[in-house]
Amino acid sequence: MIISRRNFLILSGAAALTPVLASCGSGSGGGLQYWGAFQDQQQQDYFKKERVDAFRGSAQVRMTVKPNDTIDQLTQTALAAGTGPDLVLTPGPAQVAAYAGAGYLLPLEQYSQKYGWDSALASWALEASRVDGKLVCLPAGYETMMLIYNPATLEQHGWKVPTNRTEFEAICTEAKAKGLMPVAAGNADWRAASEWWVTFALNHYAGPDAVYSALQGQTPWTDPVFADAINLLSGYYQRGWWGGAVDSYFTNTFPNLYAALASGDAVFMITGSWATSEILPYFGAPAGNDATWDWAPLFPLRDGVPAEVWDLGIGQTLSINAKSANPDAAAEYLNFLETDPKRQAQGIAEASLQPAPVHLSEADFPASVDERLVRLYTKLSNAATIGYTTWTFWPQQTDTDLYTNFDKVITGQLSTQDYLAGLDGVFRNELAARKVPPAPTPTGLAR
Amino acid sequence: MSTATAPPVAARPAAAHARRGRRRSGLARRRAVIAWAFMLPLIGVNALVVLGPSLFAVYYSFTDWNGIGGAQWVGLANYAELFGDADFRNALWHNVLWTIFFLVVPMVMGLFGAYALTRIRRFRLVFRVAYFLPYIVASVVTAAIWENLLSPDVGVGRILQVNFLGSQTLALPTVAFVNNWAWWGFLVVVFLAAMQGVSPNLYEAAALDGAGPFRQFWSITLPSIQPTFMFLGLMTIIWSFLSFDYVYILTQGGPAGATDVLSTLLYREAFASLRAGYASAVGIVMALISGLVVAAYLVIRKRKDWAV
Repeated sequence: MIISRRNFLILSGAAALTPVLASCGSGSGGGLQYWGAFQDQQQQDYFKKERVDAFRGSAQVRMTVKPNDTIDQLTQTALAAGTGPDLVLTPGPAQVAAYAGAGYLLPLEQYSQKYGWDSALASWALEASRVDGKLVCLPAGYETMMLIYNPATLEQHGWKVPTNRTEFEAICTEAKAKGLMPVAAGNADWRAASEWWVTFALNHYAGPDAVYSALQGQTPWTDPVFADAINLLSGYYQRGWWGGAVDSYFTNTFPNLYAALASGDAVFMITGSWATSEILPYFGAPAGNDATWDWAPLFPLRDGVPAEVWDLGIGQTLSINAKSANPDAAAEYLNFLETDPKRQAQGIAEASLQPAPVHLSEADFPASVDERLVRLYTKLSNAATIGYTTWTFWPQQTDTDLYTNFDKVITGQLSTQDYLAGLDGVFRNELAARKVPPAPTPTGLAR
Repeated sequence: MSTATAPPVAARPAAAHARRGRRRSGLARRRAVIAWAFMLPLIGVNALVVLGPSLFAVYYSFTDWNGIGGAQWVGLANYAELFGDADFRNALWHNVLWTIFFLVVPMVMGLFGAYALTRIRRFRLVFRVAYFLPYIVASVVTAAIWENLLSPDVGVGRILQVNFLGSQTLALPTVAFVNNWAWWGFLVVVFLAAMQGVSPNLYEAAALDGAGPFRQFWSITLPSIQPTFMFLGLMTIIWSFLSFDYVYILTQGGPAGATDVLSTLLYREAFASLRAGYASAVGIVMALISGLVVAAYLVIRKRKDWAV
């Protein structure tokens, strides 16, 4: 078949326009656009079935799956271009503050009143979701720090789960002498992982009251209580308790650490609740061994710090795009995603999804759920005292300096005093620039 | 009438010239228009993805900007902070060390590898392919292979009891070694192509005069491929200041900043600290360094009258 030049040009133009028009159509057809990123295919399939297709609201939801490591940049680019999904997923309050400052997010106060989010969601979560006093997001998933261990390893060596610093240090000393890794830790896969342990030291040595006071700008980070916390943690590294040795710490990968915990070569892991799903392939049938794992709350490192402090973090937030053509439907979908405790519990049980901060009781979970997860989330819902994860409540630059420079403390390049002085200087600047995310008082998940 | 209206004899060639000239200039104009028509899409794309962002980067380097929304003009504050920033100085120093390494090790390996290949007749193609192969393997694959090979748990590191990527002193040379493994084969192929352009008569004459292989390499090969050598040296300096992938994949700038280079610092400032304005200033300094190197090369090239 011979095509004339004119026809060729017409056909080419039509071909080029088709996807453009198609995309225009999809954006303006009254449906809601949702961009999601998932840990694995099973999680994605579950979300599609139970959280997208199951929504019977005033608009149909269309989900586009983005890669986990680039969804934030893609969202940022789309919002800057005046487009993007109706519901905006972010990695936490610091990003929310930046988006809200640029006017990309719709204030949610009217929807909060309409749907009763004040009573459905934990007050700390709503407090942490405000920018300049306005509610601009809802936490889509929250997490906490915890102690994970292999019960068989403890039993084999005659140890018990530590409930205070003395017990913890006694086990670490003995474990190190036996050639074991006392705490499975490393940051080869994720350099920022160092902040998990700084979070532990600050909240469980200095205590949540001191941390809260510092986050309000009332106590400087150079205060001796923080210096003692960092010195204590740095000392653990020097003794080879964290990751076996300082140089090993920098090359330990998470799969190796989980495997070491399963095999009994490592005793404890101080990590976040996200590990409860990551750890599964290394224990029991999936790994071809009979190893099991369990968890316990993190213990205080100093007298005067509450016995149980739940360091809370917000892993994801959801907002409504200011350019959304259908904000009412977006709010309706947001309410669907966030507020039903049974839906949250089912997500934990069936797809290891982080729950929204709703109050969960045992009755909310399906019968098939892992008992350890029920225990975790019901205890978390009833927490009396909360701590502050650095990646949620610290402003962005202070947080980056916190983990990059902590590595210099443990390698001896930087003294604790210089480290904290530098941190305090950056924090003061960000506080003055109103970049510090709002922090709730350390009074738990009270509504 | 016809005589009266006819132009003077002397004027005829001039008029013809003028007509031919007009035709030629019309033709030249048409050719220029066509050439520009072909060039325009390229210029448009270039302005959109190179010139525009470059100018914006210069602007943002003078602002406090988080990469989202509006920027606040801060003048030279980012540059002032840059030169007092220990992390910047540390990263810059690592770039200097990196550049020295890549100007010496792979260049020497590439030169001798290429020269060795010119001396053999059999399996030359096999060696060329073997040397070049690592260059076309994705950096993420190469890095993953070497990460496992050097691992202190399962690899050479375990046998030698050395933690190559966890050591403050060994991490940077180790990353440079891995990058060089993938890089030097490329230099072999380029140098070989340049060496094949050297007249065989020169080597025959030198051999007759009793010059050995090393003497021939020193006195004939090296001077003959000098422009290629200098060009690759120039590109090595520029690429060394832009190096990112191997460092980021293998160490992300760690342990404790031991492998931080300007590009990893820039990335961290822009995407972790959300300081896109400051990161732009780092980028501008990187561009200035490359610009200085190119300018120096152009001056030398003009003086020496090189073709490349």
